[in-house]
Amino acid sequence: MSHDTLRRPRPVKTSTRPSATDPGRRRRHWTRRPNPLAGVGSVLWLVVVIIPIYAMISVSLTRQDQALGNNALKPPSHPTLDNYNTVLHNGFGHFLLNTLLVAAAVVVIVLALCVPLSYVAVRARTFWSGATFRLFLLGVAIPAQAVVVPLYLMIAKLNLYDSLLAIILPTAAFAMPVSTLILTGTMRDISEEMYEAMSLDGASTTRMLFQLVIPMTKGGISTVVIYSALQAWNGFLFPLIFTQSDGPRVLTLGLFNYVSQFGVNIPALLASVVLSGIPIFAVYLVARRALVGGLMGVGGK
Amino acid sequence: MSSSVTTRTKGGPGRGVRAGRPSAVWALPAVLFFTIFAVAPMALAFYLSFTKWNGLGDPEPVGLANWQKLFDDPRLTQSLTVTVLLTVVSWAFQTVVSLLLGVWAAGRQRNRAFLSAVFFVPFLLSSTAISLLFYALLDPNFGIIHGDTLGTTSGAFLAIVFVGGWQFIPFHTLIYQGGARQIPEVLYQAAAMDGAGRYRQFFSITLPQLRNTATTSSVLMIVGSLTYFETVLILTQGGPGTDTAILPYLMYQAGFKNYDFGYASAVASFLVVAATALSLLLVRLSGFGNMRSTREGM
Amino acid sequence: MESYSRRWFLGAGAGVVAAAGLTACGSGSGSGGSGGTVNAMTYGDDAVKVQEKAVTRFNASAAAKTAKGKVKLQKVPGADYPAKLRTAMGSPNAPDVFFNWGGGSIKAYKEADQLIDLTDTIQSDSVLKSGFLPSVLASGALENKMYGIPMRGMQPVLVFYNKTLFTEHKLQAPKTWDQLLDLNAKLKKAKITPFALGGADIWPELMWLEYLVDRIGGPQVFAKIKDGDTSAWGDPAVLKAAEAAKQLIDDGAFGKGFSSVAYTNGGAPALLAKGRAAMHLMGSWEYSTQLGKFPDFAKKDLGWFAFPSYDGGAGDIRNVVGNPTNYWSVNARVSNKDAAIAFLRDCASEAYTKDLIANGDVPTTTIAEKLLDASPNPEFAKFQYQMVQNAPAFTLSWDQAVDPNVSQPMLTEVNKLFVGKSSPSQFVSALKGLK
Repeated sequence: MSHDTLRRPRPVKTSTRPSATDPGRRRRHWTRRPNPLAGVGSVLWLVVVIIPIYAMISVSLTRQDQALGNNALKPPSHPTLDNYNTVLHNGFGHFLLNTLLVAAAVVVIVLALCVPLSYVAVRARTFWSGATFRLFLLGVAIPAQAVVVPLYLMIAKLNLYDSLLAIILPTAAFAMPVSTLILTGTMRDISEEMYEAMSLDGASTTRMLFQLVIPMTKGGISTVVIYSALQAWNGFLFPLIFTQSDGPRVLTLGLFNYVSQFGVNIPALLASVVLSGIPIFAVYLVARRALVGGLMGVGGK
Repeated sequence: MSSSVTTRTKGGPGRGVRAGRPSAVWALPAVLFFTIFAVAPMALAFYLSFTKWNGLGDPEPVGLANWQKLFDDPRLTQSLTVTVLLTVVSWAFQTVVSLLLGVWAAGRQRNRAFLSAVFFVPFLLSSTAISLLFYALLDPNFGIIHGDTLGTTSGAFLAIVFVGGWQFIPFHTLIYQGGARQIPEVLYQAAAMDGAGRYRQFFSITLPQLRNTATTSSVLMIVGSLTYFETVLILTQGGPGTDTAILPYLMYQAGFKNYDFGYASAVASFLVVAATALSLLLVRLSGFGNMRSTREGM
Repeated sequence: MESYSRRWFLGAGAGVVAAAGLTACGSGSGSGGSGGTVNAMTYGDDAVKVQEKAVTRFNASAAAKTAKGKVKLQKVPGADYPAKLRTAMGSPNAPDVFFNWGGGSIKAYKEADQLIDLTDTIQSDSVLKSGFLPSVLASGALENKMYGIPMRGMQPVLVFYNKTLFTEHKLQAPKTWDQLLDLNAKLKKAKITPFALGGADIWPELMWLEYLVDRIGGPQVFAKIKDGDTSAWGDPAVLKAAEAAKQLIDDGAFGKGFSSVAYTNGGAPALLAKGRAAMHLMGSWEYSTQLGKFPDFAKKDLGWFAFPSYDGGAGDIRNVVGNPTNYWSVNARVSNKDAAIAFLRDCASEAYTKDLIANGDVPTTTIAEKLLDASPNPEFAKFQYQMVQNAPAFTLSWDQAVDPNVSQPMLTEVNKLFVGKSSPSQFVSALKGLK
């Protein structure tokens, strides 16, 4: 146990971590030992992560005629922000707003539907609740691409073609299986005693949902928020097929369109890629702990 | 957020307890919504697979023609092989790297926390953005890799695997990091007393303890690799030839390049059947379906 | 927690309302009951500014007042324009007037009765009838009926070359295939890639076969294929063309990494401009691409010549391959046909022609010839105009001419040939099997 003394322990900091209340987590030494082999490995991965990001930023600052045929690893000799200017004047803000709207709407729909669903799946003990849960489980591996043709037909008939709703509704539907899985996983952690205690107080099922289940499922809910927002953020095929005009164009599609819109302007394209990362990077900086905690929650079960 | 299974199993046989048991009606909105926007389209895809439809006018029934064409199509076998291969290789690549990085990042050293934050950055970009980035970087005259990466089958294939990994490894690293931090310290203390070295501890404690984490992560990886569609569309367009045309791309091409929506629907239906089988398999293997009885403990 | 969720739901409600608002904007632009407005859908690249000007001009014109309608332009950027058009045409938001490539690109719409037959309109209107080069107008026809009005510049495919490299190595533009092979050998000896090729996009590879088949077997070989006779792929000229291409590929004429080089991201044009490749077979838009990326090179060093003849081949060296131009076609469901037609008439106008020329395009209007001196590069503009004017045959790019459900598989087969996944004879038999 000599490694225990290798580093000064920081127990105070550790105990402030959200999950540090678990009695088994007050360890120090195992997680604090230096490990040279792992160190080398992590530096290797650092290189893998950094080089494309560096090249992306460097090229996005390069004048177009200098970028082509040059080594992307060389820093730009005359850095310029022109490319960013070009992108910002080509609807970037509008696309970003659309993406945020889609993400918000998807999150709302998924939560509004999946929280009660999961509550039923965990608590109700009828044949139907089990069957419902299984229906959603089966949906876990079905990729959204599989239904894009019939969905197109439906959306055209419903008169939703070329609108944000055409993206929101199916994106939300396909985020539901995994969300349900996450929520049921968290809701199962609520002990029977707590329900009994509340029912002794005469609480209705609805009150239990709002005063017990939802507060106790906060971790799962924040995971679902992040997961479904990411589905909207990453969504590409639905916007590609279901929208056409500038009005409802989302960011991923905007990026894809820049390829042809800028003719062959790679620096501007990469500038748009950088810009697309900035809003979520800001969220990451501000709410890193919540984001990371929420994402860990996906596998935390 | 979560506690171990053992603390929860003492709820007792709650058969008579009615507390907090909502009626199944609460699930109705979710079921309806999911039925309209996910289940019904699948059924519709199945119906369309028996029709000829070019996107204009109404679909015309053609019986089994599309299915016949599908099973005679050499591209189906090829596409299926590529899809499976891509899933397996991506899974192996991402699992090894995420597991090692995750366990490493579970350490609480300051440099590790900093590097973990850097490692997370790729996950902030959308798949489209990442695919476009590598599309630029893989151009031999312009980017950082000077070779005919996308012109060879193995090059194009590995590029897709790499790009997928580059994006999703940060996410799976987090999952493993969370998992590794939940391993009770006493296990390591006991092993250290027995004189087990660091690497033996890794194999005899860390790995077995991460089994559940690995299951979750693997399920998400496998499900995720079915959706490498953007990467294929932007990076390789299924090429060279049709060597990286995964099933969803084959469907897209049939539908939105050739406007043969009937055939595209046959491919889609095939994809749904295959994915459902995969879901069943994953649910069975991972125990997600069983979680109900074992975890609820009533 | 309670306050958290309440705030949260309120915010969410606002989001949904806003989303619904945008929905309304989105679908409100549909052709349905919007009265006089004509929705025009076009390909949203750099050149779209010419159409933008035309719309502004038209909306302010007397013609718009008479027809009681304005035009609203919808720009669809992206190489997936054809797919976008198809999904839009199948939806209630179909455009009234839309950009297309003529030929196979509009066949399905014609068969679905979604096109207005413009033959009588053109015949009875002197502006339209005599406004365009007849061969170009004819290329927009299907079964001798006119469905399109030319609305962009001509896009013949030709060979571009780097003048400095040619002078340095004392090379002459080749007139025959043998001279081209000779040039190829010399350049390789000098360690210069003879031809830039954006193989990642595949269609630049197709251009080689289009010209080789024309030069070896004459334009009628592909004409038969275009009309649906798949057995015509078995014409010996197709095999011979594939073999000639194969010989060049194996010989390293396109360099080693051509499959990872794209045209669309500027890779192939950069090779030519930076002197790493000596020549580039490309559509005439290569000139404006180079002007945008490498203006110095485009002005001083960029040369061009017609694709050489094939010794003993049946095709005339004056034959042209490429896109005659792009067309506007009119949806049969158009609500304000008068406004749509009035808008299309503007394409024959002097103002429109001038805008195209200023953009570096070579218009297909009859008045264009005397206005070409205003082009950024009159020499190149006149070369193109005469090339098209004098061409005994103008073959539409294969991927645009054939039925769309054959187009993509055909491109895949071309790609397989170029990356060495199939031999010339396998290539031919694969094409014969396309249906």
